[in-house]
Amino acid sequence: MRRASSFLAASAATILTITALGGTAVAQTPGRTAPTATDWAALAKLPDFSGVWEISMGGGGGGRGRGLPQGPSLTPEAAARRKQLQSLGREDSQTANCLPPGMPGIMGQPYPMEFLLTPGKVTIVIEAYMQVRHIYTDGRPLPEDPDPKFHGTSIGRWEGDTLVVDTIGFSPLTELASNVPHGGKMRILERFRLTGPDTMSIETTITDPDVLTAPYTTTRVLGRHRSWTIAEYVCQENNRNFVDEKGKAGINLENPSGVPAK
Amino acid sequence: MRTTILGLLTAALLAAGVGTAAAHHSFAPFNMESEKTITGTVKKFDWTNPHTWIWLDVTNEKGVVETWGIEGMSPNYLARRGWSKNSLKFGDKVTIVIRPMRDGSPGGMFVKATLADGRELRPTGQAVD
Repeated sequence: MRRASSFLAASAATILTITALGGTAVAQTPGRTAPTATDWAALAKLPDFSGVWEISMGGGGGGRGRGLPQGPSLTPEAAARRKQLQSLGREDSQTANCLPPGMPGIMGQPYPMEFLLTPGKVTIVIEAYMQVRHIYTDGRPLPEDPDPKFHGTSIGRWEGDTLVVDTIGFSPLTELASNVPHGGKMRILERFRLTGPDTMSIETTITDPDVLTAPYTTTRVLGRHRSWTIAEYVCQENNRNFVDEKGKAGINLENPSGVPAK
Repeated sequence: MRTTILGLLTAALLAAGVGTAAAHHSFAPFNMESEKTITGTVKKFDWTNPHTWIWLDVTNEKGVVETWGIEGMSPNYLARRGWSKNSLKFGDKVTIVIRPMRDGSPGGMFVKATLADGRELRPTGQAVD
């Protein structure tokens, strides 16, 4: 009985607190309230990111975070590690086995992507490896101790016409750049903005105190193709490439879909 | 070493960082310094991810028919550059330039194809809307 009354008292206090906070209670639990007509209408005032976008020829790219004109400035330890990895003569990475590259490499693929703007969120649909990035723009903070993920955990905000995306918490299976494993504190800041009627710039700045001696910034230019649609990309559909544990790359020429290869 | 326009184009693409086939895997299995031309009959055209595969029946110097596997870009990439699943059909007579497999097995990376009617298929070029 005593416990029950103290529970009731606590509940009443909670209700009073919530009532007192009023609208701010919404900000404390982002994503927990239904978007309103005003929230949907507000999207119309944002820059038009609609359509399908692909890195333009010569616009910077390359899989797995490489193909960038100047490499990252590495700490002596990270430089030694890269040299060691290079000396192993690995011919290929796990993407040959259909493992997606994760961040930042997934943003440099020769395949298009699409941006979906909904209240409190930007979703990037990436054709390569059929990947999706979830960017929360509802004011929530980044988590203190996120689980490591291929795409990390992202929040975004609009600075004028620029979408600024902050991402932390990456899987050890992703690389900062070719033969450069990232540290636990890698952080990626991306700035998306329209630079013309059908062009977009994505400026990417990577910081990683365990690996980099300076922020590593690269810029990619994307072109819009309004008539395109995002196509299917099931990597395991007919993957004949592989890389073994020692990093040796190979190709399976056997049995083409039931037709025996000589 | 013979320098070809295609070789230069490939080098330019690589330098630009727009790795085409490299997006999924490296060029390691192929001899990128070498070109080989094979002529045969299309046995099968796999319009599949992550790569298209042309299976070409080629009669070797001993008169034996060998099936060659030729890896091309993905259907996603090629469809935006004028190709379709019908670009090659069973029984088509075709001459294909490839970067051959380093290990000598009957396969390689697609460079370009010429069909009996003179039509050429290339994997690169400006994307079309």
